Amino acid sequence: MTSPLSDEDLVEGTLGGDEDAFSQLYEKYRHPVYATAYRIIQSAEDARDATQEIFVKLYRSLRSWNPRKASFSTWTYRLASNHAIDCWRTRRRKHETLDSEDTGEKAEREYAFGDAIRSPYREIAGREQVEAVRRCVDLLPELQKKVFVLRYFQELKLDEIAEMENCSLGTVKTSLFRATHAVRRALRKARN
Amino acid sequence: MPRSETRHYSEEELLMHLLQEETPEAGENIAGHVRECGECNAVLREYELVVARILRWGLCDLSAEVWDADRVRLLEQFRRDQSWLERRGVLRTLMRGFESTWSYALENPLPTLGYIVVAFAFASERTITFLKLDRVVPATSEVIEIIRQFF
Repeated sequence: MTSPLSDEDLVEGTLGGDEDAFSQLYEKYRHPVYATAYRIIQSAEDARDATQEIFVKLYRSLRSWNPRKASFSTWTYRLASNHAIDCWRTRRRKHETLDSEDTGEKAEREYAFGDAIRSPYREIAGREQVEAVRRCVDLLPELQKKVFVLRYFQELKLDEIAEMENCSLGTVKTSLFRATHAVRRALRKARN
Repeated sequence: MPRSETRHYSEEELLMHLLQEETPEAGENIAGHVRECGECNAVLREYELVVARILRWGLCDLSAEVWDADRVRLLEQFRRDQSWLERRGVLRTLMRGFESTWSYALENPLPTLGYIVVAFAFASERTITFLKLDRVVPATSEVIEIIRQFF
């Protein structure tokens, strides 16, 4: 039995134009990349598009990845979170201008897309609390949102995030604390 | 650093302790303090619940069909980009060759001039022979004679 190829091997293969190597990278990282994008953008449809764009960006900028500076996964999450933040910003701007749009129509569109998606956790989770967390995260400043998603859902260590974001560990710690504190307040409010 | 019993840990420190993001030494101190301090213990427990609720935030996962369709689309794009990169590679090799020739010419102007003269003479001689231009183009001796008369 052959052992699975390492990220370095897959990256090398992709750089050499090996489609199979790129396909394996996609298979390995599509889920965490989508999860990051989804939690930042908060729309399955937009997160799906963002995931595609992130992978295109990924293979186009593969040469800039330095294995001595960051692991491939950290580098990928950085790319994913930065792109997702850009998409979220665009989406927010669009929503601001389309605020008068009929919400019923919007819900219908989401529902139509929902046919193609399944949500195994939705039923289990306390709907209101999850909704409170989701709404609160949507309102967080960019850095807090990024740190929050990468720490809680991609389980990156805070020093890795600090290196990724080119900021001090203290800044990252404070960002995470403020984000968590905001969620705590939102959850209290939801409970009351 | 050990703390007096009256000084409590900040919420940020307690959260970092919960997430195991502090130094091992600080971790031991906080753990010791929390065991004895009901107030800090309560804050820690509350953050524990908050983190647990955060982690309940599930994902609207995509179906296998959607993933497959996206993979096909992405690989098509990858193939297109690869062929473009290959073309760009040929162009880059040519440019690199041109650049090295140019830098050689700048460093060695006289030999380069000699090469150009030889190449030009050879090319013009071949062109004249091939296109049978010797019938219309004056011979070198005639050109020299014209120039001599002019001066």
